[in-house]
Amino acid sequence: MEVLTSLYRSPQTRSGLILLTVVIIVALAAPLLAPFSPVDVDPTARLLPPLSRVATSSTHSGASAPHAESALHLLGTDSVGRDVLSRLIYGSRLSLTVGFLAVLISAVFGSLVGCLSGYWGGWVEALSAWLIDVQLSFPFLLLAIFLLGALGGGTLAVVFVLALGTWVNYARIVRAQVLSIKNQGYVEAAHATGAGTLRVLLVHILPNTLSPICVVASFSMALAILTEAGLSFLGVGLDPSTPSWGTMLNDGRDYLLTAWWIATMPGIAIGLTVLGVTLFGEGLRELLDPRGVR
Amino acid sequence: MMRRRWKKSELSSPRRFTLVLLLLGTAALQVSCGSKPSSAIVIASVSDVSSLDPHLLDSNHPTGSVIWSIFDSLVRRGPDGADLPRLATSWERIDDLTWRFHLRHGVKFQDGSPFTAADVKFSFDRMNKPPFSAVQQLWAQTTLKEVRTVDDGTIELLTARPSVTMLYWLEEAFIAPKGYYSSHDAAYLNTHPVGSGPYKLVEWTPGDHLTLTANRDYFGAAAALKDVVFKVVPDVSARLNGLATGDIDLALELSPDTIGQAKTAHSRPEEVLGLRKVHFGISQNSKLAALRDPRVRRALNYAIDVPTMIKTLMHGSTVPLTSVVNPPNADPTLTPYGYHPDRARQLLAEAGYGQGFDLDIDFSPFWGQDKDTCETVAGYLNAVGIRTKLHADEWNDFRRKLSDQSFDGLFFAGWAALINPSVELVIFTCKQEDNASGYCDPKYDDLVHRASTEYDVGKRKALTDAAQKMVWNDAYWIFLWRASLYAGLSDRIDYQLRPDDYVEIYLAKPRS
Amino acid sequence: MYSFAIGKLLRAATVLLGVSFLTFIIGHASGDPVLLMVRGDATAQQKADLRHSLGLDRPVLTQYASYVGNALHGDLGISYRQRIAVGQLIRLRLPNSLELAGAAFTAAIFLGFALGILAALNRDRAVDHAVAGLSILGQVVPGFWLGLMLVLLFAVHWQILPVSGSGGLAHLVLPAATLALPTLGRMARLVRAGMLDVLSSDYIRTARAKGLTERQVLLGHAVKNALLPLVTQAGLEFGDMVGSAFIIETVFAWPGLGRMTVNAVLQRDFLVVQGCVLVTAAGFVVINLTVDLLYAWIDPRVRGR
Repeated sequence: MEVLTSLYRSPQTRSGLILLTVVIIVALAAPLLAPFSPVDVDPTARLLPPLSRVATSSTHSGASAPHAESALHLLGTDSVGRDVLSRLIYGSRLSLTVGFLAVLISAVFGSLVGCLSGYWGGWVEALSAWLIDVQLSFPFLLLAIFLLGALGGGTLAVVFVLALGTWVNYARIVRAQVLSIKNQGYVEAAHATGAGTLRVLLVHILPNTLSPICVVASFSMALAILTEAGLSFLGVGLDPSTPSWGTMLNDGRDYLLTAWWIATMPGIAIGLTVLGVTLFGEGLRELLDPRGVR
Repeated sequence: MMRRRWKKSELSSPRRFTLVLLLLGTAALQVSCGSKPSSAIVIASVSDVSSLDPHLLDSNHPTGSVIWSIFDSLVRRGPDGADLPRLATSWERIDDLTWRFHLRHGVKFQDGSPFTAADVKFSFDRMNKPPFSAVQQLWAQTTLKEVRTVDDGTIELLTARPSVTMLYWLEEAFIAPKGYYSSHDAAYLNTHPVGSGPYKLVEWTPGDHLTLTANRDYFGAAAALKDVVFKVVPDVSARLNGLATGDIDLALELSPDTIGQAKTAHSRPEEVLGLRKVHFGISQNSKLAALRDPRVRRALNYAIDVPTMIKTLMHGSTVPLTSVVNPPNADPTLTPYGYHPDRARQLLAEAGYGQGFDLDIDFSPFWGQDKDTCETVAGYLNAVGIRTKLHADEWNDFRRKLSDQSFDGLFFAGWAALINPSVELVIFTCKQEDNASGYCDPKYDDLVHRASTEYDVGKRKALTDAAQKMVWNDAYWIFLWRASLYAGLSDRIDYQLRPDDYVEIYLAKPRS
Repeated sequence: MYSFAIGKLLRAATVLLGVSFLTFIIGHASGDPVLLMVRGDATAQQKADLRHSLGLDRPVLTQYASYVGNALHGDLGISYRQRIAVGQLIRLRLPNSLELAGAAFTAAIFLGFALGILAALNRDRAVDHAVAGLSILGQVVPGFWLGLMLVLLFAVHWQILPVSGSGGLAHLVLPAATLALPTLGRMARLVRAGMLDVLSSDYIRTARAKGLTERQVLLGHAVKNALLPLVTQAGLEFGDMVGSAFIIETVFAWPGLGRMTVNAVLQRDFLVVQGCVLVTAAGFVVINLTVDLLYAWIDPRVRGR
């Protein structure tokens, strides 16, 4: 509880939290907020700039388009006439889910491996270090293309691939921290007082590793979303029918000069989300840092 | 005390900056790429040439364009499909199974050796051996069985069956000098081509660029553009920017949405109505029985508003397909299906699919607006009750499904940028390797086989028309449009684009 | 230290072997390169003949064994797509990639350090916020957008830099800048955080006003501790940079290994993929070795394992 109040006190963390909450609310309330369907195409309304108005009769494609006399595309339309704002809103769901799950899985798995290999050392450390080196030396894209092909694509496969790309970051940093901490005597002291392995891990090691983990996690979120865009770039990303910020970013690549809003809007959305996560992460780090009374 | 320490490290920042500059400077001293002579004409494309061996020609551009410049074939394919003399000055068909070609005199290869019938025989025989035989279709498609040298200036081709497509396939059979190509190994020949064509290779940096220079001793009109560079610039914005700054003279493979940007102070856009047929194949091997019902296939065609798509996505730069065969050989009685969603729903109900069905649509995003086309088509199909699911396949996967004929629904493709009905119709014959939809009808096969052995023009037309009617009326494809060509030209050159993607840069001229 | 280094070297060799074997297996399991070498209407027999002439119908382990054998003699095979020796292709592209990655990495590390220290010293003032903003922007802005904007400004509008391609310092500036920015941002923030750690521990110590020697020892200790994650991150950054170089290479038509590798993967040009993976893996291994040795030098306790 005190953690939360001190979180709220820092203006940095507060803004981060607010941003994050906004994005999460948007994601949850997407059907209520989106003015159009995110998937209904309308080739007669393509590449419209923001604040364009279109006359709507019952269009051939959209049963969910509002039966108004005219409708406003606040952020314009994309290259097949879909409303950018609605895609942005619905896209938050997919991007947040994919990004968050990927970061969660990679953080948990990576930290676990890093923690255990740093703590136990011996063959555990040697083997995981070797595996890490092998994976790091392996071009991620090759792995991504093969895995996505083998798993048949889809959201879960992309999450798995993204997690695979970043778990190593956590493992290495956590291992380094664990080694440092271990040798600073806290652990030996704890053992001397009779604490078991698990207790040592949870009470002494984990809190000290949380700060670098959080920092890395906030970096990873943006990386996950941008990597997703990169995979779409290659043609192996998420199912093109469902909107995601990464896909939108990639769709807008050829239109940066003529229809800049298609790529810029998801770019801003990603930016704000990352900002929120980063501010929150930074605040969390400052709070949890055991050496810091700043 | 501590403060002084930190001030010291602050002062070391300028030192760091100088270090950076020094490192950048040393990096700059490596000039890694040869610079083009400033007068060279630069052609920018998405991909690189795959090989400079004339018998490994596997794509129209850029490999085809470069091979067509360095080598000659016996017959040249005109932009309208006409058969024009190149290394052969004239030809006649002696009987149903024998063709005789009279070869041009006084032609020299770029290594000085004279061109004779022996080189033709050598080249054609080489095309029949692996690995070339997997890429060259001359022998398989024309049922060629022997190349006979009558004398130094005359050659005869004997086929097992009459072949109406002989000239078409000869236009892609390039002549290499026997001496040179027998005395070097494959790897060397791959990168050191010697032909008789209007351009010579200067150098090839794979993946980056290829430089040609005009062959002053060419038998025909010497190329007007002395130095030409084919550059690999994958990003369309980079090609357009190069056009704007004058770095690129011919920016190819633009798109309807981006071609407007080719209009700058010293460049202009060029559009040509193309020959590549953009369509959706309808897999006959699918688990979905609906796709084997011609009423369903016709419904799929009626459900899509092709004219609107052409007007909006394609900016009106093309026309709807009217047949599986390109004009002028298209059956004039066939008309596009048009946009009739009610008729589509009616047909679906008639066929028993009033509740719709789930349909997979596979595509491999290559050109910028492929995805737009597929998503729009999916939207139209959704509107008549079909529940579509789009799959963006990686290119190798897509190729595999094409080859295995294992698509589960629709697949998006652009195909056959050529003018020759027998070649165009063969894709639906039962045993044809690239019959990706798995279509098979013995009556159709019969029509096509008879047409490909029928020398009489009138009879052949009747047969190809009948075959086209079958394809059209039974809607083997979802027929969209012809893929036009979108390019930007700088003010330095004049060049008329071909509708079949080949770039005959030896026909380009400096713009006065 | 010596036996430590030897141990690491041996391990590096096993990593390389592991990577190469894994790549080989994955490559062969993922598709058939012959499909992309033939026309659509090639018959099954033609494809089989081609496969045989390339040795692709032998069992995978046999192919791998002969590959390793040849590689040890310097023969990395040929590209199926372009039938050019893989070694030659790599020799053409590697210097370009090194040039780009080297310039970008150096700029990112040095500028990142400079900016990070600057931000830490001016904590919570305008400079600090500016650096924070720049670094977040750098990590969020997609490479292709930044690249295109820079080209539009410097190459098309002002015409002081070239649009694309390689060949001299002028061609290097824009792609290196685009590639460096995300790393620069991350490093700046890490350096700032580490520097703040050091500064704060410093203040605690001065508050106690103990003897000079202890201060110096603790300061040295704190700085070394702060450096560890930075060194780790720098190593990872280089890896990320190489990985994202592909997009930069596409946008700027830079003839590097990244684009060649991705194209080879998409075309299932196995031996090119093998060769490129081997080269980049060797690079990572070298970086890791450097990182590990730096660790050991910074923190001698790490050595004793």
